[in-house]
Amino acid sequence: MVPNALGRPRLRAWVIAALALAVSTAGMVAVRSSLDKAHVALVFLLVVLGGSAFGGRVVGLVLAIGAFLLFDYLFLPPYGTVIVTNPLDWLVLVAFLLTSVVATQLLSRAQERAEVARRHAAEVERLAALGAEALNAARADEALRAIAEVIQSALALGCCEIYLRRGSAEDSSSPERVALERVAHAGDGCAEAAPEDDVSLAAWVGAHGLPAMVRVDGLTHVAPAQAVAQSVPASGAFWLVGGGVRTLLLPLRVRERTVGVLRAAGAPAIALRADQRQFLDALAYYAALGVERLRLTDEAAHAEALREADRLKNALLAAVSHDLRTPLTTIKALAGAIEEEGAHAGDARATSIEEEADRLGRMVGDLLDLSRLMGGALVLTPEVNAAEDLIGAVRQRVAGVLRGREIRVRDGSHAGAPPPLLLGRFDFVHALRALGNLVENALKYGAPGTPVDLDVARDGPMLVFSVADRGPGVPEAEQERIFEPFYRPPGVPADIGGSGLGLTIARGLAEAQGGDVRYESRPGGGSIFSLRLPAVDLVADNREEGSAR
Amino acid sequence: MPNRDTRAGPTADAGTRLSVLIIDDEAKIRAAVRDALLSDDVEMIDAESGATGLARAASRRPDLVLVDLGLPDMEGLDVVRALRRWSTAPIIVLTARHAEDEKVALLDAGADDYVTKPFSLAELRARVRAQLRRARMPRVPGGDAPVRVGGGDLEIDLARRAVTRRPTGEVIHLTPTEWSLLEVLVRHADRPVTHRQLYHAVWGNTFGDTAHYLRVYVAHLRRKLERDPYQPLFILTEPGVGYRLTLDAGTVERDGA
Repeated sequence: MVPNALGRPRLRAWVIAALALAVSTAGMVAVRSSLDKAHVALVFLLVVLGGSAFGGRVVGLVLAIGAFLLFDYLFLPPYGTVIVTNPLDWLVLVAFLLTSVVATQLLSRAQERAEVARRHAAEVERLAALGAEALNAARADEALRAIAEVIQSALALGCCEIYLRRGSAEDSSSPERVALERVAHAGDGCAEAAPEDDVSLAAWVGAHGLPAMVRVDGLTHVAPAQAVAQSVPASGAFWLVGGGVRTLLLPLRVRERTVGVLRAAGAPAIALRADQRQFLDALAYYAALGVERLRLTDEAAHAEALREADRLKNALLAAVSHDLRTPLTTIKALAGAIEEEGAHAGDARATSIEEEADRLGRMVGDLLDLSRLMGGALVLTPEVNAAEDLIGAVRQRVAGVLRGREIRVRDGSHAGAPPPLLLGRFDFVHALRALGNLVENALKYGAPGTPVDLDVARDGPMLVFSVADRGPGVPEAEQERIFEPFYRPPGVPADIGGSGLGLTIARGLAEAQGGDVRYESRPGGGSIFSLRLPAVDLVADNREEGSAR
Repeated sequence: MPNRDTRAGPTADAGTRLSVLIIDDEAKIRAAVRDALLSDDVEMIDAESGATGLARAASRRPDLVLVDLGLPDMEGLDVVRALRRWSTAPIIVLTARHAEDEKVALLDAGADDYVTKPFSLAELRARVRAQLRRARMPRVPGGDAPVRVGGGDLEIDLARRAVTRRPTGEVIHLTPTEWSLLEVLVRHADRPVTHRQLYHAVWGNTFGDTAHYLRVYVAHLRRKLERDPYQPLFILTEPGVGYRLTLDAGTVERDGA
């Protein structure tokens, strides 16, 4: 059995020590005549050391004095008196006392050291276990609750709370913008809401990453400025601000970032010894790790939810694009077949069916394009392309909806001269769709019989395709609204347009590749839509071409 | 013309009927396509899956295969690759919009053309005719007879390496690079040729920093051959895929009849 630390030896230790002294004394008195003083001193020394080892320092010292007195009284002549006649016997007696006391002291000091080391080891073990729990617990919030409970019980606090700091990393150092969320608590004191001082100070701690405290008298203290430089959570001068501390607020920091706040409230006041401060600092770090883990888990769950939504959206898009297209293909093919069979009355109706199927197909395509644009799912392959390629492809694309209208292309070159070779870096398919939408728009809204003018020119770093019509134009107040999804000019019948997404998509596709679409009124009536795309200069022209012409 | 008797359109050879295999899992689309293509000269073979399609292709040896990309059992690309191992019959793929990369991969794998859904039957029939005509040519286009393009405006004679404007007979001079580009386009006439295929055939090395040469040379070629580079009649752009040279179906058929 080990004496309980530095505390008092138990009664049993005293009884056993007394008995050992009594028995050894009685035994030696019985054979007193044949005993030498050295034997007595040795036996008593053994009893003292045994008692000291068994019962601790106090037992050892009391035994030493008791043995000293018994030695003098019973074993040094004249027996039965405290008087010692032989001066040499005094020397023996004093030497015995000194030896016993010193030996007792040495023995207990060694024992105390061993005890401190053992307690430290136990502490370290407990902290390591907590740390492991904070990092490995199935749920971060359970680990945090365990940490809060350990802090609360070890420091006899009224309440220990751990807050998670919400919001983006370190962008705001203003306490008003710090949102703290309580993620763990322990102690009866937590039943009541924290005082207002504590709440505002906690926000300050969360914002600045420095410790703070509230005294019993209501005064608040914050950490001195040098603690900022040291970025030590809680230490030094701050702790010396003195007793009567009601609440301690410690920032929970991980990798230079404040992830949360620990609030320790006394019942009613907090008094910490040095080792308890170290303990609190260490546990605050584990709490910080736990809070960080909670935050990361939340983030991961959020990201997972986003990914899931994304996956669902893409699956939906794919399903819509394939599953809607299949019946459309069938409708169109069958309508085409009826039309071709030339059933006299069926002709016009079959044509309408085919046209409407086309329109529906375009709308589905527009909706898909828009959702791709909005969802950032647009895949761009920018390449060097020639402006004339794009214009040629646009004309091919709108050939079916021209209805006798003309598209006049102008590139600024003089009649008869070869057109300039204008190159740009853009995704051809998306650019075709953007410019095609603008041309279709001009064909749709331009007055019947009027041509659509398509001008192409280089403007600094951009290639500009301007599509001009002689339509009604757009009133100034509406000029930005026309790019909004589902915008329809007032007074235009629903069946003239498509989905109302053409301009939105054109602008979105242009912007996605570093260009844009602009509107301006056309002098003399009508509209001009300009598609601007990044231009490139021909880097390596061909050698053979110059001489060949 | 030396190839007069063998090269008529699908309407010519009365003795043998041409066969077209359609592989599509949608019965209604199969039916509509069958109705549209079926004629005295063309018989139709149906298959509702990739596996059946490949089996029917092997047993019936069709003159042309239509493959839908949304087959339940196989990727369209795999169907094309499997067919190409042993068959030279033209393959037309029925594909979806927003699938330019897929189209390029299909063409590189050996498909001859594609039709984007929803397609019109007239468009499909035109593509099928063009492919059947190509397939029945004795040699590659322009090999031993000049080809006409641009509404009979131009005559391209690969054997003599000459392009003449008709009816004036004016000879148009081309640089060697322009020639090789035109030659590849003519040899693959009436089918899309991918950027990579063209680049590889003309410049030989890998598709890299100089990929834009192709755009530039096409522009040069159009300036010399087309009346209006902004409205090409025969060197057509296949958006996101490559280029296609269209032969004058009318002229060739008239010549062959």
